[in-house]
Amino acid sequence: MAASLPDLLVTAETARTRPPRARATAGWARALRLWVPAGFLILLAAACFLWPQIYPVPKPVGGSVLNAGLPPLSPGHIFGTDPVGNDVFSRILYGGQVSFEVGFAVTAIGLLVGGLLGMTAGYWGGAADAVISRVLDVLIAFPALVLALAIAEGLGPSEIHVIWALCVFSIPATGRIARSATLALREQTFMLAARLSGTRGPRILLRHVLPNVVPQLMTFALLGFGVVIILEGALSYLGLGIPLPEASWGSMIAQGQQALTASPDLVLIPSAFLFATVMSLNLVGDALRERWGVR
Amino acid sequence: MLALTAAACSSTSSSSTSSSSSTQASTAPHAGGSLTVFEWNGYSGDWPAGLDPATNINGAATQSQMNAIYGELFELGPKGAIIPDLATGYSITNGGKTITLDIRQGVTFTDGTAFNGAAVLWNIQRDLKSTCTCKPTWMVTSVTSPSPYTVQINLSAPDGAFIDQIFDSIADWIASPTAVQKMGEKAFAVNPVGAGPFEVVSDTLSSVLVLKKNPTYWQKGRPYLDNLTFKTVGGDEAAYEAMLAGEGQVYEGMSTPSLIKQAASHFNVVNESPSTVYDLQLNTLTPPFNNAKARQAIYAATNIQPILSHIFANAYPTAQGFTGPGGICNEPTVPGYQGYDPTLAKTLVQQSGLGSVTIKLGTIQNPVAEETTEALQTEWASVGIKSTIANYPLATLIAQFVSGKWQSMVQTAGAWDPAAGVGVGFRFESTSPFSGVHNTTLNNLLNQAQAVTGLSQRCALYNQAAAYIAQNYFGPFYFAYAPANVAVKNVVGPGITEPLPTVVVQPAILWEDVAYTS
Amino acid sequence: MAVAEGLRPGARTEFARRALGSPTFRLAGRRVLAAIAVLWGVTFLTYVVMNLLPGDTAQLLLGANATPAEIHQLSIELHLNEPFWVRYGNWLGGVFHGSLGASLQNGENVTTILGARLPVTAELLLYAFVVSLVLAVGLAVLVARWPNGIMDRLSLVVSMLGLSVAPYVLALVLVYLFAVKVQWFPALGYTSLSTNPVENIKSLTLPAISIGLPLFAVYTRLLRADIVEQLQREDYIVTARAKGMRPWRIVLRHALPNSMFGLITLVALNLGTLIGAAVIIEPIFSLPGVGDILVQSISDHDVPVVEGIVVVFAVVVVVANLLADILYAVLDPRIRYGRVAS
Repeated sequence: MAASLPDLLVTAETARTRPPRARATAGWARALRLWVPAGFLILLAAACFLWPQIYPVPKPVGGSVLNAGLPPLSPGHIFGTDPVGNDVFSRILYGGQVSFEVGFAVTAIGLLVGGLLGMTAGYWGGAADAVISRVLDVLIAFPALVLALAIAEGLGPSEIHVIWALCVFSIPATGRIARSATLALREQTFMLAARLSGTRGPRILLRHVLPNVVPQLMTFALLGFGVVIILEGALSYLGLGIPLPEASWGSMIAQGQQALTASPDLVLIPSAFLFATVMSLNLVGDALRERWGVR
Repeated sequence: MLALTAAACSSTSSSSTSSSSSTQASTAPHAGGSLTVFEWNGYSGDWPAGLDPATNINGAATQSQMNAIYGELFELGPKGAIIPDLATGYSITNGGKTITLDIRQGVTFTDGTAFNGAAVLWNIQRDLKSTCTCKPTWMVTSVTSPSPYTVQINLSAPDGAFIDQIFDSIADWIASPTAVQKMGEKAFAVNPVGAGPFEVVSDTLSSVLVLKKNPTYWQKGRPYLDNLTFKTVGGDEAAYEAMLAGEGQVYEGMSTPSLIKQAASHFNVVNESPSTVYDLQLNTLTPPFNNAKARQAIYAATNIQPILSHIFANAYPTAQGFTGPGGICNEPTVPGYQGYDPTLAKTLVQQSGLGSVTIKLGTIQNPVAEETTEALQTEWASVGIKSTIANYPLATLIAQFVSGKWQSMVQTAGAWDPAAGVGVGFRFESTSPFSGVHNTTLNNLLNQAQAVTGLSQRCALYNQAAAYIAQNYFGPFYFAYAPANVAVKNVVGPGITEPLPTVVVQPAILWEDVAYTS
Repeated sequence: MAVAEGLRPGARTEFARRALGSPTFRLAGRRVLAAIAVLWGVTFLTYVVMNLLPGDTAQLLLGANATPAEIHQLSIELHLNEPFWVRYGNWLGGVFHGSLGASLQNGENVTTILGARLPVTAELLLYAFVVSLVLAVGLAVLVARWPNGIMDRLSLVVSMLGLSVAPYVLALVLVYLFAVKVQWFPALGYTSLSTNPVENIKSLTLPAISIGLPLFAVYTRLLRADIVEQLQREDYIVTARAKGMRPWRIVLRHALPNSMFGLITLVALNLGTLIGAAVIIEPIFSLPGVGDILVQSISDHDVPVVEGIVVVFAVVVVVANLLADILYAVLDPRIRYGRVAS
C-alpha cells in the first residue's frame, strides 16, 4: 500500500516468510547467545521476587535511623543503607520487583492494546485505519509527559498510575509497528490465498498475521522494557513516580542523585543493576531477531 | 556598619564550621570584586512575576534579590538586632496604634529621583491597594506623611509586632514612584529601580539577575562588591558542583544533609540561627485526630533525638514550641509537653483506636521534610501506628489543605517573630486554611500576643500559647530548622560567615556588607 | 510485481502521467489534512487533561494567603468560571487570530514567553539531535563493516550504557568530570548565540550530550542491525558483491541509504519524547528554555502556557512525521509505484 508507513523494524520487503539464511556459525554458539542473557534475566527476576521469600533480608522500608547512611560492605548491610536507614540490598530486590512489574505491565499493555489496534488498522484499512491512525498520531504528538504529570498530580502518585501514564508512550509506538507489519503482510501471496479460500477476517488475523507480526513486536518490546524503567525513574525524579518510601530502581536513582558526590553508591548500585538488565534484554532481542530472521 | 569580627561561631548556631583560625587582618573586607550567588529554583530562584514589591508573589522567597535592589527600611541583623537602613528609626505611640517611621535623608533612587517620606508613602499606599496576596495585612485606618521625612501609619487596633513583621513585609522595599509611573508596572517588574546597594543591569525572570554597585548608595564605602549576580540552579547537587567548578561563590539554603557535610571540607558552611520549627500538624476537625488521646499517642510515639543525630548530624536543635533559638521569645522546653514514651504510646494507641486506621502522613517535596517523614513513619510503626506517606509539590499541598481532607502534615511553623509570615497563626489560628486547629482560646492568646506592645508581655503570652498547644496535644514540634549557606572561603559577610536569624526559613543576607577578604 | 511494472515499455510516460494526478500528490494532500486533524486533537486533549486536574486554579495562582473573595475575583478576571467549551473555544479562536493568550501566572503574553524560551530549547534539542545522528551514522557504518568485531562489541556496551543511564545522573556526572575536574565546559548557565557563539556552544554541549547519548545509543543499535541485515540478506547486495564491488562502497552507497529511511521514521517518532528530556535537563543546567517552566506551569494549572508549549511541539512532531512520510513515498520506488492508497 502506498500509504504504508515505513518503520525501522519493518519495511515492505522484509516481512517475508522465507526461512532465514543458514548461519555459518555453529548452532551451540547461537544457543549461547540467546540463553546466557535470557538466563541472567530470569535469574535476576527470580532473585528479586523469590529471594526475600526464601532467605530473610531486612525490610526495604522502615529502617531504623540508627543505621542511616552506612557505606557498602557494612556488617548486615552488604550494599549499605540509605539516608534514613533502609537497607539498600533489600531495596534493590524489592525495587527490582517494582521495576520489573512496571516494565512488564507497560510493555504487555502496549503489545496487547497497541498490537491489536495496529493489526486492525493494517488489515481492514479504510475508515478503521483512518480513525485508528489518527488516534495513534495524536498520542504520539501529544507530550505524554504532560499526561503523566497530570495523572500523578490529579490521582496521586502510585505504581498503577505510573503504569497508565507510561502506557501513553508504549501503545502508540507498538500500534504503529503492528500496523506497518500488517500492511506489509497483507500483500503476500499466502494471505491472498487464505482470503480466496474463504477464511474469515479474524481467523486470518489470528492464524496468519499474528504469528508473523509478533516476532517484530517482541524485539521492539524488549528494547522498550529498559526505556520504560528509565522513564519511570524520570517520573520519580519529578516527584511523580513510585511514592516514598517504596523503592524502585528508578526512584532509588532519583533520590540518590540529590547527593551524588556525597554518596555515589546510592546511584551506582541501582544503575548497575539497570545496566545489566537492559544489556541482557538487548542481547536477548538480538538473538531472537537472529532466529526469527527479521530486522 | 557592622563590625566584622573574626568569624567565630555565635552561641546560637550549633555546628557552624566557619573559616579556620585566620587572623583579624586576613578577614578584613576588601572593596571590589564580582560575586555570583546560586538560588534554588524551587524557592528563592523563582521570580516569574518580576521583582516589583507590590506584585512579586514570591517576595518572601526572593528576599535576597529584593534586598539587593531596594535595600530595606529596617534590616534584621546578627543576634536579632534591628538595624535601621533606609529608615533611621521608629516610634510607637497611641497605645500601639500609631507607628511613626523616620526616613533617612540624603538618599536618591538609582534613577536620580528623591527618596523621601512622599516616596515611602506612595509605596505603602500602593502596597495596601495591590491585588497581590502578599500585601500587608495591617488593619490600617490611614497612612500619612506629616513631614518630608516621616511616615505615619494609623491602625485600628494595636499591633506590637509591627516592626518585627516589617522584615517579612513588602512594605520594607521601596520602589521609585517615578520609575513605576514612567515605565508602567509590567516593564518595571522586569527592570526595577530602588535605592538599595545595587542596581539592575539585566533581569531574565527566574533565571539570571545581574546587578552592579549603586554609585549613589547612601552609605559611604558600601557596597564592597562591584558586581552581584543571582543565578537559579536546579538543586543542591547542581549548585555544589557548580561551586566546585568555580562558577559561583555562594549558595543559599543547602538542605541535603550528606552534601552539607561534604561541602564543609571545601567551603564555609554556616547554619543560620533557626527561627522556624518543623512540626506535625494534626487535623483536629476530622477523625482520627479529633480524639485527644490519638494526638497524645503521636506525641508519645516520636523520638526526635536519634533522627536529629543520625540523619541531620545534630545540625538542628530540638524544639517543643513554635519558637527557635534565632527568634524572639524562644522557649526551648514547654511545660507539660508530652515527650517520648513508647509504653504510654502503645496504651494510648489501643485506647483511642488509632491502631485500627492507617493515617495519611503528608509533607512537601524537599529532602529534609521527606527524610523526617520516613523516619517518623518507622518510629510510629514500632508502637502500632500505621501510616502512608504522601509528599506533594507546593500547589497540591495547598489544595490538600484547602480541601480539608488531610490528617497529618509535616510542615514548618514559626518565624523570627511568631506573629509574622508563616508564624504560629498560619498554622494554629482558626481563620487560616492551613491550620488544623479551631480553638477560640488559642485564637485569643495569639491575637493578644500580637497586639500587645511590650516584648516581655508578648513572650509571656506566646509561652502560654505554647503550653496550651502542648496541653491539648494540638501538634508536636520537632526541631528548629535553618538551612545552611555555603560560601567560598574568601568571602565574608552577615549571613555568610556570621549566622543571621532567619526571617522566614532563610535569613536576609545583608549584601552591602558582603566582601572578599583577599 | 511493483518493480516489474516499472520495467515495462512505456514506463516513462506512465511515470509522467502518474506524477501529475499521482498518488504521491494525493497522498501528500491527504496527509496534510490528517496532520491538521491531529494537531487539533492534540490541543483538545491537552485542554481536557489540564481541566481535569483537581484543585482551584485561582487558589493555586494566588498562593497560600488568598481569601475566598480574592479567589472569586481572580476566577472572574481569568474567566475560570465559564464552561469548558466556552474557554476552549475562546482559546482556539485566539489561536486563529495569532494569539496564544496570556499566562495566568503573571499576565505575560504566551507568545513573548515562548519567544524568549523556545530558541534555547530548540537549539539544545537540535544540537543533541545532530550530534547523536552524525555519531550514530558514523559508528554504525564502521561497525557494520566489521560485524561482531571488537568495535561492534564496544559499541554494544556503550549503547547499553547510554540506554540504561538516567539522563539526570549522566548530566551530573558529566558536570563533575568536565566542569569540575577539568574545566572545559561551564557547569551551568546559558550564553545566547548572539552574545558569544563559542560560549553558546560550550554552554549547550554537556546538556546536549545528556540528551543525545540515549538517542545515539538507540540509533546506533538499530542502524547497525539494519545495515547488517541488508548486507546479509538483500539480493541486490549479494549481486553487487558477486560483481566484485568493494565492501565500503556497498555499505556506503547501498546499505546505508536504504537504512536511512527507517532511521528517519524513528527520529520523527522520537521527537515528541524530547520535551520530556528537556524538562529534566534544562533545570539542572539552568537553561532558560521551555522545559524549565513546563512542570511548574502544569502544577500552577497555567493552561495557556502549557497549551502554547504543547502546540509548538505538536506542530514540530506532526510536520516532521509528515515530511518523513512524504519523503519516503517520494524516494522509495517500491512505494511510489505501489497500489493506490485507499
